[in-house]
Amino acid sequence: MAALARITRKAMINTLSPGHVIQRALSTSAAATTTTTAGAKTITPSADRVKWDYRGQRQIIPLGQWLPKVAVDAYVAPNVVLAGQVTVCDGASVWAGSVLRGDLNKITVGFCSNVQERCVIHAAWSSPTGLPAETSIERFVTIGAYSLLRSCTIEPECIIGQHSILMEGSLVETHSILEAGSLVPPGRRIPTGELWAGNPARFVRTLTHEETLEIPKLAVAINDLSKSHFSEFLPYSTVYLEVEKFKKNLGISI
Amino acid sequence: MGTLGRAVYTVGFWIRETGQALDRLGCRLQGNYYFQEQLSRHRTLMNIFDKAPAVDKDAFVAPSASIIGDVQVGRGSSIWYGCVLRGDVNSISVGSGTNIQDNSLVHVAKSNLSGKVLPTIIGDNVTVGHSAVLHGCTVEDDAFVGMGATLLDGVVVERHGMVAAGSLVRQNTRIPSGEVWGGNPAKFLRKLTDEEITFISQSATNYSNLAQVHAAENSKPFDEIEFEKVLRKKFAHRDEEYDSMLGVVRETPPEIILPDNIKDPKASQK
Repeated sequence: MAALARITRKAMINTLSPGHVIQRALSTSAAATTTTTAGAKTITPSADRVKWDYRGQRQIIPLGQWLPKVAVDAYVAPNVVLAGQVTVCDGASVWAGSVLRGDLNKITVGFCSNVQERCVIHAAWSSPTGLPAETSIERFVTIGAYSLLRSCTIEPECIIGQHSILMEGSLVETHSILEAGSLVPPGRRIPTGELWAGNPARFVRTLTHEETLEIPKLAVAINDLSKSHFSEFLPYSTVYLEVEKFKKNLGISI
Repeated sequence: MGTLGRAVYTVGFWIRETGQALDRLGCRLQGNYYFQEQLSRHRTLMNIFDKAPAVDKDAFVAPSASIIGDVQVGRGSSIWYGCVLRGDVNSISVGSGTNIQDNSLVHVAKSNLSGKVLPTIIGDNVTVGHSAVLHGCTVEDDAFVGMGATLLDGVVVERHGMVAAGSLVRQNTRIPSGEVWGGNPAKFLRKLTDEEITFISQSATNYSNLAQVHAAENSKPFDEIEFEKVLRKKFAHRDEEYDSMLGVVRETPPEIILPDNIKDPKASQK
């Protein structure tokens, strides 16, 4: 049954393939005719576009002379993208799926800070406040999963909760905590030692002394965790052997 | 290659074989916990049976983005790192000059179920911010969807409409032209000023310029990357200002000069 299915499928593909091209052409031309009313646009696909890059996404993307710098002690997960002017300092960790794109301005992740899963950190050209528009995350900062940071300054020893959004020119001062899901509008300053939450972020209460002492402890705990992840990765991957094998199989000279 | 070269090559080959044997031995010792690395099997453009994505040659698609199924991406658009455009059950069309920023997700609702057909249509010069989720909605030309916004089924963002960062727009909401909506659920906040409308179109052009730089960088082959790495190292400690102070003119190779379009347009005007 499976064999039959395979044969019919193969036959279908064989018969369809010339027709398929025509169909594709028709569909694009149909799309073009429907959209001419909105404004003439046509899609001309190029044959050079790769559908599968055997190298995957490069982790470190230099732009011009800007080369992202990662300290030897920092852990950056393999599917993170660092582009442009990004500095990851000692002991910092950037977890899986994050994107740190410093193509317009600088991004710094400070000592022992951590940026958790699927965060996006970007910098704008200029910020509405007089502050420099670079994104700087200083030491012992914990940034929760799914956070979005754009041109903001986070002073030492803060916690940014999960799913929170910090917009252009916002400033989080030392020992403050943002709760999960909070949104900091452009140019907002969160004073030292306070807990803020909500969309847009509002003051909730001041932090007790014990809580402010807990903040660096959390950062250090995550740093410890990142060390165990870091030790899992060897300095060089062995994928080049796979590539060599693959190329040999296909008869491409290395 | 001379005889000596051949001999050295052969010796190198032996040593490599020994190294690989050592590697295998180490893996064997690590036992079940060992994970063998494989080639990347991520597909940037992927078809679902006969629904193949059509991407314009001038569009930037980051290698870590995935475009699946019936997706059309127009001229000068950019799909940034980690985006997912999944047009498996219905079609997605992205206009020209649009940017969909990092880690966003565009998906569609089920097609032809109880007469509801909800393709996702994103118009021209639209800016969709980081980590936005667009599900079966229509975003018209020159609209703006802020960072982390979520647009549910049947939402229509009209021309010059703006969805503020972090907002959740409920089903079948219509965001009229020139208004800002925000919050959870999204409500009308205020009217857009003319300045902001020009800013939105400006941001779209900025992004398409930026995308060209990233596209050039991401499509480089291995030799070129290595070559530029060496160049960068060689020219790293040379500062133009310092050199001009000394009266030395040194050429920076064109490979490692960024094109103008990445720079701040305001700064270059000054």
